[in-house]
Amino acid sequence: MSRKKKISLSEEELILALRNREKIAVEALYDMYSASLFGVISRIITEIPVAEDVLQETFVKIWNSFSGYSAEKGRLFTWMVNIARNLAIDKIRSKDFKNQAKNHELENNVTFVDEQRNTVYKPELLGIKELVATLKPEQKSILDLVYFKGYTHVEAADELGVPLGTIKTRLRMAIQQLRKHFN
Amino acid sequence: MENIKEYIESGILELYVLGSISPDEKLQVEKMAAENAEVKVEIEAIERSMEAYAEVHAIAPPEVLRGRILNSLLTNLADDRIFTKAHSRTEEVFEDDDVEAENVIAMPVRQPSFFKYAFAACLVLLLISVYGLINLYSKLQDTNTQLTAMQLDKQKIANDVSNREKELNIYRDTVYRILRLKGTPKTPTAAMTIAWNTINKKIVLDMKSMKLPEHDSAHQYQLWALVGGKPVDLGVFDSANAIDTSGVKEMKAIAAADAFAVTVEPMGGSVNPTITEMVVSGASK
Repeated sequence: MSRKKKISLSEEELILALRNREKIAVEALYDMYSASLFGVISRIITEIPVAEDVLQETFVKIWNSFSGYSAEKGRLFTWMVNIARNLAIDKIRSKDFKNQAKNHELENNVTFVDEQRNTVYKPELLGIKELVATLKPEQKSILDLVYFKGYTHVEAADELGVPLGTIKTRLRMAIQQLRKHFN
Repeated sequence: MENIKEYIESGILELYVLGSISPDEKLQVEKMAAENAEVKVEIEAIERSMEAYAEVHAIAPPEVLRGRILNSLLTNLADDRIFTKAHSRTEEVFEDDDVEAENVIAMPVRQPSFFKYAFAACLVLLLISVYGLINLYSKLQDTNTQLTAMQLDKQKIANDVSNREKELNIYRDTVYRILRLKGTPKTPTAAMTIAWNTINKKIVLDMKSMKLPEHDSAHQYQLWALVGGKPVDLGVFDSANAIDTSGVKEMKAIAAADAFAVTVEPMGGSVNPTITEMVVSGASK
């Protein structure tokens, strides 16, 4: 990155700064999470300008409704990714977006996006990248449908034509695999 | 403990982190996490994994977007501050002026229009009442006038009736002797009827049937009785259509008479009759 140094804070520091409505909190928030959130949004919305709008809406909503976040109930990113996913899904279900039509098939988006754009390269992610690569295709497709597409596991079961129990098992197995990275 | 393990292995915590869970289940998981450190630890591990998974799939947004988004947030921040300040200032003003504001500002806005309308309504009612009163008053006046006129009419009719009664009585009453005086050769068309009360001896003239030649305003008729060849004055009278319309006229009384005659005499009558001006005459028998 040629740009000026990105700001990074610990999650606790960031939450405190956000609570205090500090300028630095906004910058840190963006620098720490914009790429991850944009990755999720871009897998739901393939039109880049629309995805960018949704990213902005996401940050505005995070900022404005930050009092609604409780660290007791989970990590900050989990809360934020839900906001991003819901805004993106609302957008593609809105009339405006549907009228533009000619979207790529949703199922293909994940691979499509990955082929089209350079994903962020971070050396510290090497280990988990390898783990992601070891995920079985049926595990990854379910994980992506639910995590990136906002499918409920019931919808995912319908979509993939597998029993609900299998969906749950595969999701758990996939995440267990990823967790090896932290052990 | 066994239950907790089963709960963790059921896969519900993964669904919770992935956001694929009903609100009820979400509350249940949050309750479990609050009560069991094990569950909480498990959830956090899943969260970290997914966070890393998202990072692996992260896509850096364009550089320009950073400025745009940060500006929009910081503009909001600035807006927030301005708004907060302005707001508190407004509140102070309101707090200071609270009592005054209620009495001076709030009241005049609402009340005047009420009084204005009430006043206008009263004025309209007053005008309608005055108009109604004037109407009623003029009608009352009309009615009074009519009533007066009718009373006069009634009185006149009553008078007429009583006169007719009198007249009729004269003819009916056997006490009266009806005498018809005939025109002289000079006035052959003249005729007159008189009634003579045989008890009080008064003479009554029937003005209605009287047909006497006209005379000027300087003269009057004078009734005479001939008693033993000598004329006796019985009073003067005017022609029937002049002043007296009562139908009958009482003249002086005469105890006995041979004949009656009417002459035209100067106003007020004469001591002796002007025989040449005699218009009617008739014997009493």
